[in-house]
Amino acid sequence: MTGDVTALVRGAGEAGGGCHIFSGCGFPAPGLQDFEWKPFFTIGSWGFTKPILLAIVAALVVIVFFWVAFRSPKLVPRGMQNLGEIAILGVRDQILRPSLGRKGDSYLPLLVSLFFFIYIMNVMELIPIFQFPVTSRIGFVWPLVFIVYFLYLYLGVKNQGAWGYLKNMIPPGVPAPIYVILVPVELLRFFVFQPFTLGVRLFGNMFAGHLLLTIFTIATWYLLSASVGLLYAAGSFALAIFVFVLETLVTLLQAFIFTTLTATYIASSLEASH
Amino acid sequence: MTEKGNRPVTKREAAAENRAKGLDIGWMVSGYLISGMLAYGLIGWLIGRAVHVSLLLPVGMLVGLAISIGYIIYRFGVQEAKKEMTGDR
Repeated sequence: MTGDVTALVRGAGEAGGGCHIFSGCGFPAPGLQDFEWKPFFTIGSWGFTKPILLAIVAALVVIVFFWVAFRSPKLVPRGMQNLGEIAILGVRDQILRPSLGRKGDSYLPLLVSLFFFIYIMNVMELIPIFQFPVTSRIGFVWPLVFIVYFLYLYLGVKNQGAWGYLKNMIPPGVPAPIYVILVPVELLRFFVFQPFTLGVRLFGNMFAGHLLLTIFTIATWYLLSASVGLLYAAGSFALAIFVFVLETLVTLLQAFIFTTLTATYIASSLEASH
Repeated sequence: MTEKGNRPVTKREAAAENRAKGLDIGWMVSGYLISGMLAYGLIGWLIGRAVHVSLLLPVGMLVGLAISIGYIIYRFGVQEAKKEMTGDR
């Protein structure tokens, strides 16, 4: 079945059609097909799918939230402005300041936008109707990585010069022969490993989380029957709840890690860390 | 509380700083381990292809791993200890 309905509805629908344990039909295991979506409409070869819609909704949520919170700011904050200030100060004190200090405050808009955009895209996984983390499609993660990496390189070259930036990758005081030995390691880490893991970490966590949640939700319905299956279903349901709670933390943690690493990258570009 | 600039650093700020630093160092260390193996594995494979010795790929990977471990000990052990002693952090 294609992805025009959510995995949960798909599982429930199939199992609801008599596909339960001991009824002779196999478990409708979720898989990659649950991450593929039938386009709502197409323009040429380009299809407008559910993840695209959710990414736009996530962007709108962030824009509207901060616009409403700060459209007429008061000295003594009330209502939405309070929430907005808590959100901004949270990112400033927990992500920006620890890496960049006060001199990095000019990067606050970037980090706040990045954090909340990623967080809302992640948390779509847990919201009924949406029920899909946009970041579990890696195509939505790479542009964010490119933006961060482009900025990282640009600031590094701007502040330290192209040669100085490359030279500062290896700490001073290393003997020349060792320096030569370390160059391939540093280049590969900097240009391949670091951007690759920045993207894959976010994608992998959200992909695996969504798959786990789908498996246990579908399994609960599949195992439900007037037999010992009821006991299995209860176990699966408990695990689904456990994964759900775990995912509420993972969605936040992954947004936090991505933004914290962005802040440390910017910090290392602004000045040599050694 | 310790001093930072003109103002004292709270425990909460120090914890946040340590968390950011720990996250950065953690990923840097794993980055060095994998990049070392890949970089020297690739070099070993290229040389091995030229001289028809397939054993140079695993040898290169082990050499890369050894270089990475040595570098990690130097950068995050020896150098950090020096910085702590001189107070240059």
